[in-house]
Amino acid sequence: MKIVQINKENWTDGLKKLSEIYRLFGPVKEDDFHNFKELEQGQLPDLNCLNTRLSPKSIIYPQSEVMFEYTLDENQKDHHILKEVKKDYSPQAVIGIRPCDAKAFALVRLNFDTPEHQDPYWLKAYEATTLVGLACESPCSSCFCTTAGCGPYHEEELDLLLIDSGDQYWAKIITDKGKVFLKAAGWTQTVDEKTALKEIKAKKQAAEDKICSTVNTDKLREIETNELYNAPFWEEVSFSCINCGTCTYVCPTCWCFDIQDENLGSSGCRMRNWDSCMYPLFTAHGSGHNPRDTKLHRVRQRFMHKLKYYVDKYDTGIQCVGCGRCVRLCPVNIDIRRVCELMNSHAVMTD
Amino acid sequence: MGIEPDRLQFSWVSSAEATKFVQVATEVTLAIKDLGPNKNLVKTMPKVA
Amino acid sequence: MLSYIDKIKEISIRLLKECRVEMVIGFRKGTVPMMNEPHFAKSPEDVENFVWDSNCGINLCNYFTNRGEKIGILAKGCDSRNIVTHIIENKIKRDQLVIIGVPCKGMIDKRKISAMFEGEIGEVIENENNITVKGDGFEKNLNKKDVLQQNCAICIHRNPVIHDELVGELVEEQIDVDRYEDVREIEALPPQEKATYFEKLLEPCIRCYACRNACPLCYCPTCFTDESRPQWVGKGQDPTDVSTFHFLRAYHCAGRCTDCGACERSCPVGINMRVFTKKLEKDCLELFEWEAGLDPDVRPPLDTYRPGDPDEFIK
Repeated sequence: MKIVQINKENWTDGLKKLSEIYRLFGPVKEDDFHNFKELEQGQLPDLNCLNTRLSPKSIIYPQSEVMFEYTLDENQKDHHILKEVKKDYSPQAVIGIRPCDAKAFALVRLNFDTPEHQDPYWLKAYEATTLVGLACESPCSSCFCTTAGCGPYHEEELDLLLIDSGDQYWAKIITDKGKVFLKAAGWTQTVDEKTALKEIKAKKQAAEDKICSTVNTDKLREIETNELYNAPFWEEVSFSCINCGTCTYVCPTCWCFDIQDENLGSSGCRMRNWDSCMYPLFTAHGSGHNPRDTKLHRVRQRFMHKLKYYVDKYDTGIQCVGCGRCVRLCPVNIDIRRVCELMNSHAVMTD
Repeated sequence: MGIEPDRLQFSWVSSAEATKFVQVATEVTLAIKDLGPNKNLVKTMPKVA
Repeated sequence: MLSYIDKIKEISIRLLKECRVEMVIGFRKGTVPMMNEPHFAKSPEDVENFVWDSNCGINLCNYFTNRGEKIGILAKGCDSRNIVTHIIENKIKRDQLVIIGVPCKGMIDKRKISAMFEGEIGEVIENENNITVKGDGFEKNLNKKDVLQQNCAICIHRNPVIHDELVGELVEEQIDVDRYEDVREIEALPPQEKATYFEKLLEPCIRCYACRNACPLCYCPTCFTDESRPQWVGKGQDPTDVSTFHFLRAYHCAGRCTDCGACERSCPVGINMRVFTKKLEKDCLELFEWEAGLDPDVRPPLDTYRPGDPDEFIK
């Protein structure tokens, strides 16, 4: 495993070379906050942000995506046929993604890449993407990644991990994709591995020590589902929820979508859009019945899914990476850390 | 909302006022033709990914 | 304003003990700086969790819709006008509520304050007239008046217009306030520039509907955006659909919006969508001399036909 040194001074030259092969994405400041955007020629990613407001999941999984198109106009020779829309799956690279957001792709992949079904759009975009991570030196007070299965220097899903060390970045090569990326940029100067690794280990520890927010998830698997489902605290937890979709849309591990057709005269398309389990219509059946027609049902469903059902089904931990976005952005301050404690300690009570 | 004022017009016309109806329809059509096709808030195939 | 909390707790406990209400809706302390969470108390012990400070911006009127029990509710000036609107629209009966009126000097703008500092804010301590913002390597005192939410800075109804209890003395109403300066600026733009302005304003929108759901007026069982037969507005991110959603929502609030600011406050991407509702508020004032939610016995202008209604725009 090699560690390559990238001087911040000739960062731009490397990026220029990369932009000829990859479509580059990075955090860009817009108004008061940062978001991942496609970088224009010569535009630098702003790696000084704590984290972006919206997660980078939209790079692999866009919010609105046209899948098929069709025309009913019998004068066209391909009328009444659903045609796949051409998409751009050329190589792309996300520079400056935080380890929590990268790990989220691993969690989401369990849904989009199963033995029975593979989501072609998600998978193709995912395979075309190189993830160049940026280790966190100063995590936010609402980050709880260390107890959510990752951490500020976590390497899962990353092809490269950039560690800021003053006037240079150390790029830790994790996969072959990462190697290819570095070569394309012309960043080949390595550093002494032993010393570098030692220092990285110390920095990693320092960053992890800064995390002051934790959740306990040890009891979630063993408690009986119905005990949690019928727990008395849901009324108090769900009271303030306004059932907007903010938490689901900013969450890097949420994956639900809605497919619908849009028609315009005699042509149309089939598109998929992000959907949210917080919306009343999410579980509305064609018969008119809605199994989750109250706020309590929906709020309970969200937390049960993230902290119980996912744990039971996949046995890889909770469906949360501790990025803290839902905590910071919920308009009524519903806090998943608090709910996790309530659920985990409910287990203790009924033992 | 960014739509030109002459593009949207209101008028009271009774079914007994045929002449007025023709007049209003012609005037409004000419006014809109002068403005050209509307480019604002026009829904076409979704401009998304 | 900070001293209200004792009175709030006293009144809430009394109402619950006397069984005049089955629950009291207020706020409890949030888990991140400058946030409070709407909370209900069903017993005097629960009331201990209540807080009141300048972060109580969410409109509590959202929470009594479709509830059958008797409810005690904390209401600032803007919230009380929403209650009046709900009564006018038959959404709640007057005798179902015990309104605990809270004269308000304004809520602070969390987004504005966060933008003033480079690093993360760790704690915000509040005094009567100013706040101390502490963070990673910085500490600063700010005058509350300078960081009020936009709608609070130009508020002309700070006292509750309807109440059963009052938690403090009425505050002075602001007069000589120009509420529509920003609206007039936009009105003066030529159509194409207006269109561009709105396009840019709405570009970050992620259709999360936080604005719609935080708004106490948006209580339709099926919102027009969710209608599918026929589908009025697309659900995707097409800019025309996003604009249509915001414009139409504002129109549905015409003559009813009290400028409580809950929509702007709840938006996760910081869109100032109040420009739409304020424009319509201005129009209602100029065309019908109407201000929303002041009198529960007067029907609103979009509900009634008066012979003198303006019609110069009809040829």
